[in-house]
Amino acid sequence: MSEAATPNSAHTSGRRRLQAILTALGPLLALVVVLIAFGIADKYQRGDRAAFLSVNNIRNISEQTVVVAMAALGMTIIIIAGGIDLAAGTALALASTTLAWCLKNDYGVAVGLVAALGVGALTGLINGTLTSLLGVVPFIITLGTMTIYQGVAKLIANETTVQPAFAQVPEWLPNLTFSPVKPQWLIYPLLPNFSTSVWIVAAVAVLMAAMLKYTIFGRYIFAVGSNEATARLCGINVRLVKIGVYTLAGLFVGAAGILQFTRLTSGDPTGGVGLELKIIAAVVIGGGSLSGGRGSILGTIAGAAIMVVIASGCNILGISNSIQDIVIGTIIIAAVTLDQFRQRRLAS
Amino acid sequence: MTLCSLALRPLTLRLLAPVCFALLLAGCGDPVADAPPSGNKKLRIAVIPKGTTHEFWKSVHHGAARAAKEFDVEIIWKGPVNENSREAQINIVQDFMNGGIDGICLAPISKDSLVRPVRQAKAAGIPTVIFDSGLDDPESIASYVATDNEKGGRLGGQCLAEAMGKKGNVILLRYNVGSESTQLREDGFLAALKDYPEIKVLSDNQYSGTTRDTSLDVSQRLLLSFRDQVNGVFVVAEPNGVGMLGALKGAQLDGKVKFVGFDPSPALIDAMTQDKMQGIVLQDPDTMGYLAVKTMVRHLRGEKVEKRISTGEYVATPANMNTPEIKKLLYPPQLEE
Repeated sequence: MSEAATPNSAHTSGRRRLQAILTALGPLLALVVVLIAFGIADKYQRGDRAAFLSVNNIRNISEQTVVVAMAALGMTIIIIAGGIDLAAGTALALASTTLAWCLKNDYGVAVGLVAALGVGALTGLINGTLTSLLGVVPFIITLGTMTIYQGVAKLIANETTVQPAFAQVPEWLPNLTFSPVKPQWLIYPLLPNFSTSVWIVAAVAVLMAAMLKYTIFGRYIFAVGSNEATARLCGINVRLVKIGVYTLAGLFVGAAGILQFTRLTSGDPTGGVGLELKIIAAVVIGGGSLSGGRGSILGTIAGAAIMVVIASGCNILGISNSIQDIVIGTIIIAAVTLDQFRQRRLAS
Repeated sequence: MTLCSLALRPLTLRLLAPVCFALLLAGCGDPVADAPPSGNKKLRIAVIPKGTTHEFWKSVHHGAARAAKEFDVEIIWKGPVNENSREAQINIVQDFMNGGIDGICLAPISKDSLVRPVRQAKAAGIPTVIFDSGLDDPESIASYVATDNEKGGRLGGQCLAEAMGKKGNVILLRYNVGSESTQLREDGFLAALKDYPEIKVLSDNQYSGTTRDTSLDVSQRLLLSFRDQVNGVFVVAEPNGVGMLGALKGAQLDGKVKFVGFDPSPALIDAMTQDKMQGIVLQDPDTMGYLAVKTMVRHLRGEKVEKRISTGEYVATPANMNTPEIKKLLYPPQLEE
């Protein structure tokens, strides 16, 4: 039976709702499927020594996801608003280098954290202001600022890695992204004892989802991304919204920089090169549309996790780097193609 | 039912495709697939280099594979996808920590950033043997298998001093701020020169940076300042060797100024055949890979292992470069992935 031939309208709306739910949960479902798939492959390869789906590896995967996930939360609203930020990776490294520099020069951790967030927000503000005022597409603006931020980071770092001494880094800071050895579970067997950074990202993600859904600013972001001209005719100050979006996203980039520092305990000015593509890929795998107006927080988080699961799975299965690169690329294309099919079906 | 089939068709497709894909990948993975899945006592050791594309690491891989065959263990060779990415290397250590591995051999990209993952692994009951470059926490590791870089530097210093007739002025071109292995080479070089009172150091405070490009710039500047005084030059790594060679050629000093380097490359070997280099200090990556795996196997079998194991340092000179021992180090065997 074809769709149009269904006579019952209640039936149709029920199906619509189910499809909408499936669409929203699609990336999450894909994450679970990829997890299980690698779990099976691991079991097949190594029998009773398989550990891919162990609670420790799940916690490990979550730790490795937080940096990209945090930055991708910001990228999600940029992409929903119809923009793009190629400078996210180098801005992230700039924030992380700033924090390392503050610690190394004994300004203390509080100053370092505020400076990192401030620098992040500032990079976003610059991206947003240039895009709005110069009227040049964000792809070009951020292509330029990408190099500029890298240059500034190298300047701060004196062209090397900023390495604070062990005593200059308070113990709790790196512990943010390292899962406690014990206990493994908070609630057995439902909730693993994740590292603090995972909870931070989760909390921020909930706030962002609420902001997008329930605040005027959130609705403006969708309006600008769906149709900029219409949004302007409706009286939305498009420029201001864009500047706000980029600045807020910059704040997330700063936070992600802090998380990267907690993992490396050093500031590497070149440590963000290529990261912007992972961040954008997380949003896109999560259902974000590069033509604007569409994207979801839950999807983005799932998208970031999917990439880590694949990398981690390839490591554990002993798959060579060349194959791993090819696999990740293939999955990005497959995920987005599938998503577009689904959208088209939904629209018809 | 329409509803069910509509929802389920793409769903089952989505569920099945990745599973088949992953199973396919499981088959691609290293020889594990043909090993019996359970009850096998064959040790599994992860070997993690700093990168996978450099020739040096391919030789380390060759040595590691040789040891794996000899001791009947299984190695998983896995470097960071992006060369020299700390983040990627940390991820790999963490993945293996949870992944049914008996031990890890690691060449840390950073002596600081990898400390925590190695401690985590130790807490999870997985020992680590560090190779190539040091880690800032000797307590957490089973052993450290590497070139004695200080001794390598001293050998280079002696070679250069002899080539200069034990007198004259030298330039030391350093590598990069914060790089531990090259700093030891620099220290060793300067220590060796103390035995030659008639040799004076013109410059020892310039850093070449990590690329051939920046090395060339710094070398040119150095030669411009000291062109009339310099008799000998020592460089501590392969990229600045190539940079310095270019600068010497440009200043038409090649062959006139005595020149000793560290680590070979085709350009440098070529220069030595033309007597434009008087020596290249050599490491032994093949033996390094071999000893890293061997040490881990011995540690896992409960034998006591030395905390520090040297893999040997040698000097190639125009006189000995065609002997089989040195030839093997100038052109070390490599394993393709």
